[in-house]
Amino acid sequence: MYKITAKEELDVRDFFMEVEAPHVAKAWKPGQFVVLLIHEKGERIPMSIYYADKETGRIGMFIRRHGKTSFDLWDNFQVGDSLYAVAGPLGKPIEVKYYGNVVFVSDAVCGQAENYSTLKAMKEAGNYTISIQTFEDRAHSYPEKFLAKPVADEHYLTTEDGSRGIKGHYLDVLKELIEKDRVDMVFGGGKLGSLKKLAELTKEYGIPTIVTVRQIMVDGTGMCGSCRILYDGEIKFACRDGPMFDAHKVDWDDVIRRDSRFVREQEIAKKHYLESKGVI
Amino acid sequence: MARKRPKLIKERVPTPERPVGERVKDFGEVNLGYTFELAVKEAERCLQCPAEYAPCIKGCPVHINIPAFIGKLVEHRDDPDKAVEEALRIIWNDNILPAITGRVCPQEDQCEGVCVVGKVGTAVNIGKLERFVADYARERGIDRKLCESELKRVEPIGARVAVVGAGPAGLTCASELAKLGYDVTIYEALHEPGGVLAYGIPGFRLPREVLNCELDRMKELGVDVKTNYIVGRTVTIEDLLNEYDAVFIGTGAGTPKLLNIPGILLDRIYSANEFLTRINLMKAYKFPEYDTPIAVGKKVIVIGAGNTAMDAARSALRLGCDVTIAYRRGREDMSARIEEIEHAEEEGVKFEFFLTPVEFIGDENGKVKAVKFEKMKPLDERDSRGKRKIVGTGEYVTLEAETVIIAIGLEPNRILLEESGFKAKADGTLVVDENLMTSIPGVFAGGDAIRGEATVILAMGDGKRAAKAIHEYVQAKRIS
Repeated sequence: MYKITAKEELDVRDFFMEVEAPHVAKAWKPGQFVVLLIHEKGERIPMSIYYADKETGRIGMFIRRHGKTSFDLWDNFQVGDSLYAVAGPLGKPIEVKYYGNVVFVSDAVCGQAENYSTLKAMKEAGNYTISIQTFEDRAHSYPEKFLAKPVADEHYLTTEDGSRGIKGHYLDVLKELIEKDRVDMVFGGGKLGSLKKLAELTKEYGIPTIVTVRQIMVDGTGMCGSCRILYDGEIKFACRDGPMFDAHKVDWDDVIRRDSRFVREQEIAKKHYLESKGVI
Repeated sequence: MARKRPKLIKERVPTPERPVGERVKDFGEVNLGYTFELAVKEAERCLQCPAEYAPCIKGCPVHINIPAFIGKLVEHRDDPDKAVEEALRIIWNDNILPAITGRVCPQEDQCEGVCVVGKVGTAVNIGKLERFVADYARERGIDRKLCESELKRVEPIGARVAVVGAGPAGLTCASELAKLGYDVTIYEALHEPGGVLAYGIPGFRLPREVLNCELDRMKELGVDVKTNYIVGRTVTIEDLLNEYDAVFIGTGAGTPKLLNIPGILLDRIYSANEFLTRINLMKAYKFPEYDTPIAVGKKVIVIGAGNTAMDAARSALRLGCDVTIAYRRGREDMSARIEEIEHAEEEGVKFEFFLTPVEFIGDENGKVKAVKFEKMKPLDERDSRGKRKIVGTGEYVTLEAETVIIAIGLEPNRILLEESGFKAKADGTLVVDENLMTSIPGVFAGGDAIRGEATVILAMGDGKRAAKAIHEYVQAKRIS
């Protein structure tokens, strides 16, 4: 069905996976995502795209070993195995056009994937592309070949403790670039708390900013409303109306709070899985 | 020789149901249906009105020849298999999914509501007889044999049709076209076909095995079902028109209406769609064996009083919750099937009437803890649907709730609309002509995608009509 064609560790927590999904690879546009089900008893999990190759019909993704599903996927699915479902592409594409100097900032797994795939399209559209990728520390940073360097005219890698690249967060690097008047357009993905701060920063300077608002979803097609957010005073569904939105119009506090709705259940599922594997 | 007039039996033969205490503990089916003996006994109550008069046939949205199929059960009472085969053949002329409609149709508003016997006693239990025929046929493999024999007559006509959405409308349209010899592909957004039958209607009303069996018929008919395709995103209508001779859209009304009141973003406030999808499609009631969770508190308030509200309430009950349905109108205005309301009450769902929600109140962690309602009162005037109009009283009441399920209705998903530029009404329903063709030539539509929010049987009726119209359209296109 949806065969795994490559799988590789990115750091101690994240991994890269490539899957055959020609229907998605053919139609995917920047800003869109997919929903995976690893097996029949699985949950539907949204996933960002690192690349979509029309020629080979394959899509690449970065996945964090975080909850039950991602542990299961890493532990029990090898190259040659198949996933139960890959649905997509889902969500609204962003506008790929000439903006000038385009920055993509990211500080978590899905954001790192989007950093590459978005800037690739932006570079092809004639923009000057600047990539800022933040990691917690060296152990949680990616190998060179998985960074967004090939599609960035300028690339910055930062770690929060300074153990690799520049010490600091993408917010610090971005602020400097903005102050040098070198930023026309900002895209971003990753941790919601950082995106809130990003929105505050760029709003101050009046720089248009479009970011991925990652929310808990079930179907991913606009059918359940689980991913609803307050946007410019209106209810929007992240899966159908987004997931990329104007960061300045998002009600961030609700978005951040709603992201932790199933924390207790996530822990139960993880514990149940690890116990079944005899790990704990 | 004059036909002997059957003796009128006023009371219907009851169908066995699982006891309340047992059934609220699981998601197994509540009503156990007739045995052949009971079915024949009930069938004998039918007065066999002639087809040109029979009110039940007129009352049925797809005009099943009801007296004829019921008559077969009595006629071949000594040969149950033959009786069922003959009855099923008649039903299939108009309805390919009788195991489903026998369970989910609002018969009291349709065939049974106009049954002549009902004028002096209780109407013939047409729904349960229909269900009996389908269930018995399935259990004995009679349906498969009948399907095979019908397929032998099918000649491929070398034309292709794409059906968007594997719900009641799409499945019906696809099977009708397959029987006419078309090469049909269904595109479904979710990972399983069935549409609302899979994600919306719980197992205690429509067991998954029953649905799966009806879905297997698609395979027997040679219909290809492509899951995980979101038409409008994965492929466009234009792509489909380039590849197929015609397209049918049966995408339903998949987007939940949410209340635009303070607190709507609080935790544990679900749309009925989310709540039911987690439970039915994703099997969250078996979490953590299944990966999808559902988080509920003890006290649950369901807002709304249609079938979806009853389904959500009774599902919550089965998760061990204490459930109250709050409805802004009165008891007699509830739109759910009578059987569902009765089952909900038997099982211990409480009802509060004339309450309209005005605010959700949360705790310090952002979880809902109560709902504030305004008390309503009815007027003598009635609205266009015949329901009493209501007005606010200015009095308020707050009810405790650790989980809220909003079941106030659905509207079409606008993905297709935005992508393809169909002519549509303000509520997102597609505009179609008398042949169910949309504003895009060659693209037909039916079911909730054009009706907003209706029933499974009306969607199936549209699917069937559209199949006929598509056949005519394709034939005409070939000649010209």
